[in-house]
Amino acid sequence: MSTQTNRSPLTENTVVDVDVHLRIPLDDLAEYCDEPYRSTIKHPTYTAVNRSGWDRYMGGNIQKESLPDADTLYEKVCDGFDIDYPLINAFPVLASVPEDDRAVHMMRAYNDYLLDNYLDEYDEFRGLLSVATQDPEAAAEEIERMSSEEKIEGVYVLNSGAHLPLGHPDFDVMYRAAADHDLHIAFHASAGAPFARDFPIQDNAINRFMTTHVLAHPWAHMLTMTSLLVNGTPEKFPDLNFTFLEAGLSWVPYMLFRLNKEYGMRRREAPLLEKSPEEYIREQFYFASQPMGEPNDPQHLKDIIDIVGTDSLLLATDYPHWDFDHPDALDRHLRQFYPEETREGVLADNAVEAFDLSL
Amino acid sequence: MGEHVVAAASELQEGDRLVAELAGREVAVFRFDGELYAYLNWCAHQGGPVCEGALTGTYEATYDREANEVSLSWNREGEVLMCPWHGWEYDLPSGECLSQRSTRLPSYPVEERNGDVVVTL
Ligand code: FES
Repeated sequence: MSTQTNRSPLTENTVVDVDVHLRIPLDDLAEYCDEPYRSTIKHPTYTAVNRSGWDRYMGGNIQKESLPDADTLYEKVCDGFDIDYPLINAFPVLASVPEDDRAVHMMRAYNDYLLDNYLDEYDEFRGLLSVATQDPEAAAEEIERMSSEEKIEGVYVLNSGAHLPLGHPDFDVMYRAAADHDLHIAFHASAGAPFARDFPIQDNAINRFMTTHVLAHPWAHMLTMTSLLVNGTPEKFPDLNFTFLEAGLSWVPYMLFRLNKEYGMRRREAPLLEKSPEEYIREQFYFASQPMGEPNDPQHLKDIIDIVGTDSLLLATDYPHWDFDHPDALDRHLRQFYPEETREGVLADNAVEAFDLSL
Repeated sequence: MGEHVVAAASELQEGDRLVAELAGREVAVFRFDGELYAYLNWCAHQGGPVCEGALTGTYEATYDREANEVSLSWNREGEVLMCPWHGWEYDLPSGECLSQRSTRLPSYPVEERNGDVVVTL
């Protein structure tokens, strides 16, 4: 990364960066631990477990940056990017530590390390304390302990690795401690083992159907869509259309643009593609309207439909399932916001195209 | 428009309801807790026949921060009208939608007069 120090429009503003990560070497962290943890963490086995060893850095062709000390952080982030106040987190993957007591011990060590080596070094630095979600009581105690530290502004919670969904009442002690001390919560996910190993099992602790019903369809579709694109399926079968039922539309804009971004950075991992993911999606993918999102401001639904494109939208009721949409739920928006021709497309012509229907 | 006799008062006992078509609209009349209520049979969500739904209770919850406890209670048994299409809940006496407080079932004046139940549109 080359960080430029010449004039930027940001110099005139006060700028806060809310997500600056450290990568603290375990040998350094060990100095902040007592035995037996000091020895244990010098011999880690948890970082290279199943599905954590991805080729993130493209065989070393993209730089693996780190901010090994406060001066480097100041130079690269504050000087280089014109950030006045970096909100720094230690970025520990505590959820992957299999022994709860070790995770709790490491939590304290990470927070002390962050204070000693970064937050105490520059007035401008601010920090998020990290918690081990394995033990919400210990997390609450840690929040108490850190609450007197002026530079600590909030709580960093790794959410893809937590063993229970983070609204579970077990976590209320942690949130209560945070609320008592005005330390707000920041969630961060992970692409490594926590996502592959721990995140899926959160599903087993969902305790209301509403939770699973909100998530089940879009999550599955997101994974399917990503897998199709990365593997080049629509390129292999250019005459084949793919329709996504029963998740509505609102999940699609994120996918269009995130897939484009990721493709730009990691094209070689999706080498069959000849054009941007967005183009494939617009040409070969269709989305059924049900369940229509219900924004408080109906204009926002129009915005979503505009982004996804009326050419990709199909009417669906899902009848007779209990969560069916009456056709008018979509049609009243079409009548309100779109010309008749567009409306006809959504009501029938797009479906004719998507499935080559003979009507 | 105007006044409509929808039933003899004796036909609508405590806990009963009826749905009548009045001037092209479906209007439901309930006798609940000694009072009469008349609502349009049209759910604010997607136009379902809300007044034909179950009268049920609902869960209410409070959080005691001091004790760190959530208490969950099943309340208002029989007062909550639930649309049979997707389950939107309405408070029967007020017509207020429980999930969207600014939404109410359209209501009409209804009274008992000379042994009849009379709805005014
Ligand atoms: S139409 Fe009444 S809940 Fe949907």
